Order: sequence, then structure tokens, then C-alpha cells
Amino acid sequence: MYEKRLAWSVLFRLFHWAFALSIMVLVATGLYIHYPWSNSVIEGSRSFVVAKVRYVHFVAGFVFISALLVRLYLWFFGNRQEKLWDSAPVTPANIKNLFSTIGYYLYLTDRHEQRLGHNVLAGTVYILTILFGFCQVMSGLWMLYPESPFWGSWGVSLLGSQAQARFVHYLIMWYFSIFVFIHLYIVIWNDVKDPEGLISSIFTGRKFFHKDTIS
Amino acid sequence: MSRIEHEKEIKSRVSRRSFLKGCAMAAAALGLSDELVPKLAEAAASPKRPPVVWLHFQECTGCTEGLLRASHPDIATLILDIISLDYHETVMAAAGHQAEEILSSTIDKYSGKFICVAEGAVPTKDGGIYCKIGGRTALEIIKDVAPKAAAVISIGTCASFGGVQAASPNPTGAKGIGDVLGKQVINIPGCPPNPIAFLGTVLHLLTFKRPPELDSLGRPLFAYGRRNHDQCERRAHFDEGRFVEQFGDANHKKGYCLYKVGCKGPVTYANCPAVRFNDVSIWPVGAGHGCIGCTEPNFWDTCSPFYERLPGVKLPGAGVVTDADSAGKKILGIAAAAAGIHAAVGIGKRLVKGNQEEGK
Repeated sequence: MYEKRLAWSVLFRLFHWAFALSIMVLVATGLYIHYPWSNSVIEGSRSFVVAKVRYVHFVAGFVFISALLVRLYLWFFGNRQEKLWDSAPVTPANIKNLFSTIGYYLYLTDRHEQRLGHNVLAGTVYILTILFGFCQVMSGLWMLYPESPFWGSWGVSLLGSQAQARFVHYLIMWYFSIFVFIHLYIVIWNDVKDPEGLISSIFTGRKFFHKDTIS
Repeated sequence: MSRIEHEKEIKSRVSRRSFLKGCAMAAAALGLSDELVPKLAEAAASPKRPPVVWLHFQECTGCTEGLLRASHPDIATLILDIISLDYHETVMAAAGHQAEEILSSTIDKYSGKFICVAEGAVPTKDGGIYCKIGGRTALEIIKDVAPKAAAVISIGTCASFGGVQAASPNPTGAKGIGDVLGKQVINIPGCPPNPIAFLGTVLHLLTFKRPPELDSLGRPLFAYGRRNHDQCERRAHFDEGRFVEQFGDANHKKGYCLYKVGCKGPVTYANCPAVRFNDVSIWPVGAGHGCIGCTEPNFWDTCSPFYERLPGVKLPGAGVVTDADSAGKKILGIAAAAAGIHAAVGIGKRLVKGNQEEGK
């Protein structure tokens, strides 16, 4: 028997999908801006391809920033599962879960601790991802507003030059691409290994628990 | 040559007309009204204008050559004449002990009043022994002269940020003048910098007795406030997606955007497309070569390879391993392989152990 329990609030699910879709658009348009493979021979502004792709990149960038700010808000004011310390390796129980999850993922143990929120390995990687997201925003906004004294002074003190900002921005793009790949693999693997409705929970907000494991 | 004789020399060489023309160009670069041109001219021609001590350290003299070899001779003459050069190793007549005497007498006589222009980086490793002039290290000279100057101007990327000497692995511990002194100086970077940027800064100092507005790297905003890419004449080709694929191809001949062959205009703050060089409307992109980012700090490290979009990925201890593109693709490939092996192990284990779900 299974019991259905609410894990994720509506705002959290909106954050997830805004974040996910904006990352996909940003990576696709970002790779194009890095290497504009289409080479138009049409003269004049009938072809405006790079400018348009950059525009989409900037709009998606602001969606990404909004999603990040929502996640930051939920770290402190979300429900129990969404709070920063619920899935951060800060308590003894959480640190134990971090290692047991690593063991579970490496097929060393079959014991799976059911959690309503993230497991701590995922939670730790998500915190890292949000931090990388902020690096991306800092470097991105400086490149978007190259003449702004505010972003300029931040950019120079953090990154040194626009060349460095572009380089760091590009490397973190690869982090996000690899993160998306591993994230998708792990959720599918989890859903196959232990059917608790992990994938559907990000649409419905509900997870399914074995009745006998509910504490 | 005494100072009075020097003044006579100026008058015989620069006509009033070309002198005013130079002042007008500098005023335009500074974004000043033409009503201020007489003020600039007055400050530049005043016999009370401060003398300039021009120091050379680790450099190629390209910045000075850039000024001297300007095809429009008025600008070079104007720069060298209005700033009343008392000490400049390349162009002064004096040599040896005589020259060093002029330096010490000028900094004593005009203490707190003269302008110090530094060209070249200062080596700091091993007590600065890698650059010595007249028996003193560059480090000693700049620490002796700069504190007595009314203003310090670093001309060129070497003096501003260390330049090629400071490129990794920086064997002599070369640093820019600002870093050596531990204070903000006026930086006029470029390899070489535009003479107009230098002239404008000097005229601003002479006229208003204060430096022009600077960015957080000490570069005057009137010349370094905007990226080359944002004022480039080939920008339309970028926005509309027309690129040079390799040097010499049909697109190159048509003058398309050089972004894909490594132009660093998008990351470089300078006024090259607006002011250009040698008064013949020329600058690298105009001549079909990408910008190499020469006004940016550490451009030898962060903007090279010059013909690729991004620098290589360095691993500590291993040096440059690969370019950023293939590094990302390789890691993604490793992740995909790891996921494949992981999935295979899971399937294999299930095959060996049997499906436990069925028993539940």
C-alpha cells in the first residue's frame, strides 16, 4: 500500500520548471552565441540572427535570475522540505544520509532511506548549482551591462576582466549541461529502482510512500 | 638645453594653427565643448605648466615610438612639446651621469608639481635586479620619483598592468606601476595606446588640475569607457550573422565580422574604432585583423590564443591541457560513459539477483 504525501509547493514546482526551461534555452542560445555556426550571406537587416538569439538568451537569463531568487526565498521561507538546512549536510542525520545515499547509488547497499524532500547528496549538489547560478548571473550581467559602474566594479574585483568573465561564464555553462544530464539520469534511475513517484512529484508535488516505511 | 631655449624650439616647430588643431582633437576625445579649446590651449602653452619626467622600465619603447611615428606629425610634436619633457631617455640629448643629474634636479626643483609618466613594467622579484638604470633598480627609481610627483600616468599596458613581462609564468615578478606603488594611478593601457587618449589625459590634468574620470582599473572613461565591439564598424555583420570563417576567405574579403577568428573586441574597453590610429583611419579590425584585447589587464594570458574565441583550460601542475570546448565535451562524455556503466551494473545486478520487487 502507498500513501500520497505533499512534498513540493506550487511555487517550488514553478521555480523548478522556470529554472529547467531557462537552462535549456540558455545553453542552446549560449552555444550559438559562442559559435554562431549559421553563416548568413544575406546582406542587410533581413537576416538578424545573432541579435535575435542574443535577445532570447537575455530574456531566458532574466527568467533564470527570477527562478534563482525564488529558490533563495524558498531556502528560508519554503515548506520543510524546501528549506536550505533540510537537505544540506549540516546535521549528523543529514551527513549519515549523504554517505548512505552515495552507497546506495554505488550499489553498495540496497537500503534506501525514504525522504519526503531531497536526499542529502542531491541537496548538496543543488546548493552548489544555485551558487554556480549566481556566478553565472554576476558574469552575465556584467557582459550585458558592460558600461555600468555597478556591475563593472563587481566584475573587475571578482573576475578581473571581461575576457575572464566570458571564460568563466562558458565553463559554468558546461557545469550546467553536465548537471542536467546527470540529474536526468539519476531521477530516472531512482524512479526505476524505487518507485515513489519521484518524476511525477515535480509535476504534482506529491510523492508516494510505502505504508510500512512511514515513520 | 635650457628651458627658455626649449620654448623657442617649440615655437619654431609647431604652428599656432596645428597647435590649436591638436587641442581641438583632444577636446573632442574628452567630450568637451569647443568653448573649452582656448582654455586647453592656454594651459598647454603656459610657461608655468609642470615639467614631465618620463621613465622607461621593462618595455619595448613602442609606446614612445607610437607617439613619435604618428603619421600626423603635429600630434607627436604637440605631445612632446606641450608636456615640457625634462627627462625622457629616448629623446633627450643628455646621456649618462648628465641625464641622471637632470632627473634628480627636476624632481627636487619641482617636487609636488611635476608629472611622472612611466612606460614599462617594474620587476619586483629578487629585489628588482632584472631592470637597472644608472645603477639603480626600476623599483628604487619609481619609489623615489612617484611620491614626489603631482600625478603619475602609466602609459601602455606594461606600465598599467605588467604587460608581456607579467604574462604567465612572469619570471621577473613584473608588476604595473599602480601595483608597485600600492595606489591608484592614471592608466593609459594599449600596445601601443592611442596618442589621443594620452594627449587628452595630459591636457585635462593641465587645464583642470585633476585627472579625468577613471574606471575601476584606473583608465580614463573618455577613452576606455566602452567596448570596441559596441562601436565597431563591422558590428552589423555580427548582429546579422555574417562571419569570416578563416583569414583570406571570401567573407574576409567582403569585410565581415572577425568574431569567429578570435576577435577580442567584445571583451576589450578602448576607443580604437572611434579615434583610430596614425590619423589615417586605421585600426586592427579596419585592416582585417581581430582585436587582441591589448588594453585589458593580463591580456597575454586571458585573451590568447589570439585567433580563438577563448583561452585553454589550465589544470594546476599540468599547464594548458585543452581548449574550453573540448574540455566540456570530454567531461560530458565521461559523465555519459559513467552513467552507461552505472546503468549496466544495475541491470546486471538485477539479472544476477533476480527482481526483488516481485517478492514484495
